[in-house]
Amino acid sequence: MHLIETRNLCYIYPGEVKALHNINFIAPRNARIAVIGSNGAGKSTLFKHFNGIFKPTSGSVLVRGEPITKQNTKEIRKFVGIVFQNPDDQIFAPTVEQDVAFGPVNLGLDPETIHHRVHEALRVVGIEHLANRVPHHLSGGEKKRVAIAGVIAMEPEVLVLDEPNAGLDPRGVADLNTFINSLSKKYGMTVIFSTHDVGLVPEIADYIYVMDKGRIVASGTVDEIFIQPDMLKSVRLDVPVIPKLLKSLQENGVDVSMAYTYADAEAALLRSFGK
Amino acid sequence: MIESLFQIERDANRDSVIHRIDARVKIAIAFAAIIALVAVPYSTMIYTVGAIFFAFFCILWCFTGLSPLVFVKRALAIIPLWGVIIFFQIFLKNKYYTTYDVVLSLPFGINIYAQSIEFAFILLVKFAVCISFIILLSSTTKMQDMLEGGARMGLPAEFALALGMMIRYLFVFGYMFRKMNETLKTKCFDAFDRHLSYRYRLRQLGYMIGTMFIRSYEQGERVYTSMLCRGYGRESFLFVERKSLKGPEWAFLSFSLLFIIVVPVAVWFGQYRFF
Repeated sequence: MHLIETRNLCYIYPGEVKALHNINFIAPRNARIAVIGSNGAGKSTLFKHFNGIFKPTSGSVLVRGEPITKQNTKEIRKFVGIVFQNPDDQIFAPTVEQDVAFGPVNLGLDPETIHHRVHEALRVVGIEHLANRVPHHLSGGEKKRVAIAGVIAMEPEVLVLDEPNAGLDPRGVADLNTFINSLSKKYGMTVIFSTHDVGLVPEIADYIYVMDKGRIVASGTVDEIFIQPDMLKSVRLDVPVIPKLLKSLQENGVDVSMAYTYADAEAALLRSFGK
Repeated sequence: MIESLFQIERDANRDSVIHRIDARVKIAIAFAAIIALVAVPYSTMIYTVGAIFFAFFCILWCFTGLSPLVFVKRALAIIPLWGVIIFFQIFLKNKYYTTYDVVLSLPFGINIYAQSIEFAFILLVKFAVCISFIILLSSTTKMQDMLEGGARMGLPAEFALALGMMIRYLFVFGYMFRKMNETLKTKCFDAFDRHLSYRYRLRQLGYMIGTMFIRSYEQGERVYTSMLCRGYGRESFLFVERKSLKGPEWAFLSFSLLFIIVVPVAVWFGQYRFF
């Protein structure tokens, strides 16, 4: 049984704007899944189906094998946490602590448990010292962490992040990558994220879905997707710089094995130079 | 206007003995002072009570570390609101006097009465001292602390959540308005530039206000979606942790309340008059 599964999911926005066409998506336990695609590909629309915010026009969405109904919506939203692209859409309480507490309060927890969950979530994302701060005094990266903490405090098993690196500085991106990896490795969570920054994907994803104009045009492991430069170009994406460089070196007679992450590429190049 | 909002926030974020006092104490004192002043009968004894209360306010203000100019500027900013109401009293008869002496007769049968002038002064004293306490409260208490204080004092959960969101998005839109202003400036637009036609300037300002309205509407939709994702429902409320008042806060509150009650009563029974 998969944690999330969509079967022939179609969605049409009011005004007959077709957003999703026959989407078949699977999210197993403890997976790191990237959904890549250019702007307007339908990534965010797809994510909003995972916890019942949007209802399919046709097809179905199964969470732990069960369809989303009015009766289990609360349980589903506790199970699948979504972090939106713009933290200002998600942080609506006057202080960080109150905002992170919003989800646990809605789960009907007692004050002691709420307090514990809030401080644990803030600790996990490394911003416990910001508990009493007001959101508009925080930097973009800090706001992003508050938004993630607000969802983590509900202890979801699946964390969905919509463009998690949008607007972050390089250090912020690196910290977030480490954090996303730790969610899967340390806490056994399934992480699904969208991005059009393909360079980031090999560092934090095991499996990739490529979307274009509301369709899934390809899916597979990092190796399987990034050996298809023509397909990626056809959907306004590109192969990340590292495999692109290694491929070019291979074509020019350098004996170097293919790699996708910085660490693997470094090791491959050092081997190639006999170091 | 928007900059005043940020200035109030900067003042409230400063540190002083008064700033550190729990919001509940300051709310209770401000409201007690207002109730006491409103309860004082419409007679000249209000001058004495008002003077003593204002002296009390001045002592408290000295401990805030804020410049008296801050108070003067804020009090003057409110004048258009209450000054007009008070000014028009001099032309009107009211239920507190039986006989009226005309001081000045104006055309169209309009008269200025001695008793009405006295009534206007009484109103002025009441307004000025009440507003002074409100300014003291708002200048030394962060908005989020005021909300938490209110919630701890029994403000209904629905109000607290709505007010909390209002405080949060007041600043989000404050920043948005500031950015839009900066954009207009970078494009050399000045609403007071007489070289540009009046209609053009009005139209551009109209576009700006319209854009703000549309963006706030869209923001509202996105926020509501993110609230649903975190289990928002009819029972949702803003999480405010329990907090007891400290000994010195109790002492200060007790002394202040006693003072606020004793002063008008003593003036009433003792017929003490400074003026």
